[in-house]
Amino acid sequence: MNLMDRLTDVLTAISHPSRRAIIGTLAESGPTRFTDVAKPFDVALNAVTKHLKLLERAGLIRREKQGREVLISLRPEPLRLVAGWVHEYERFWNERLDQFEQHFKDKKENKPNKEKEEKKR
Amino acid sequence: MKDTMKTIEVKVERTIPAPAVEVFDAWLNPKVPGNPWSMAEKLILNPEVDGFFYWLIQGTSHYGRFTELERPGRIQHTWMSRSTSGEESTVTVTFQERGEETLMTLVHSGLPDTDGGRGHEKGWNFFLDNFSKKFAAA
Repeated sequence: MNLMDRLTDVLTAISHPSRRAIIGTLAESGPTRFTDVAKPFDVALNAVTKHLKLLERAGLIRREKQGREVLISLRPEPLRLVAGWVHEYERFWNERLDQFEQHFKDKKENKPNKEKEEKKR
Repeated sequence: MKDTMKTIEVKVERTIPAPAVEVFDAWLNPKVPGNPWSMAEKLILNPEVDGFFYWLIQGTSHYGRFTELERPGRIQHTWMSRSTSGEESTVTVTFQERGEETLMTLVHSGLPDTDGGRGHEKGWNFFLDNFSKKFAAA
């Protein structure tokens, strides 16, 4: 499989919020049983299995049998492909615009309070 | 050299909860966090057509020349830094009013598509630092 195909698989894998949540859980908790991975989701186990298959295809998880249990663990290395693909300036402008947007959100949230304070005076 | 160098374009969009004219002015005000002139160690800013800027941040110099300023809809300037490998790239920012909000689109074009520009290790660290925050919350 060439680099771009692998990158596509990784981007597909992280494009769904449930799969990102699974990655988050595995990053935090280490190897986790299938039933525990599926627990927070209000969907059929089938759907969780499908998510895991896509994560596995991207090389982001590994399944290991331990007795009767299957443990799932995170392999974050393929995410390096995504990091390498994103241009320095894409990150730069995203960080900058996040701050810029936040400035206006803070301003908007603080405005009513200031008006209230002024009215109190 | 320029003919053979592969360039790419970066596009970033945000919806800002304020009228376009306010967002436009804030983008040129170095006191507002997040615009390219804030947090400067040294800044020279002359926002008029053919006006220049110099922005020093974390020891890296950035230079450019304003080519378009149409308040409140559009700002365009050139951009040169270590990361543009001596090439003149272009930053175009447009502000489109959407009701009470403003859709802001920033396009940075003419960026050399180099390994340095893509910054593997830096990107990896950045990704991991933000990993839990961005992804676990989703």
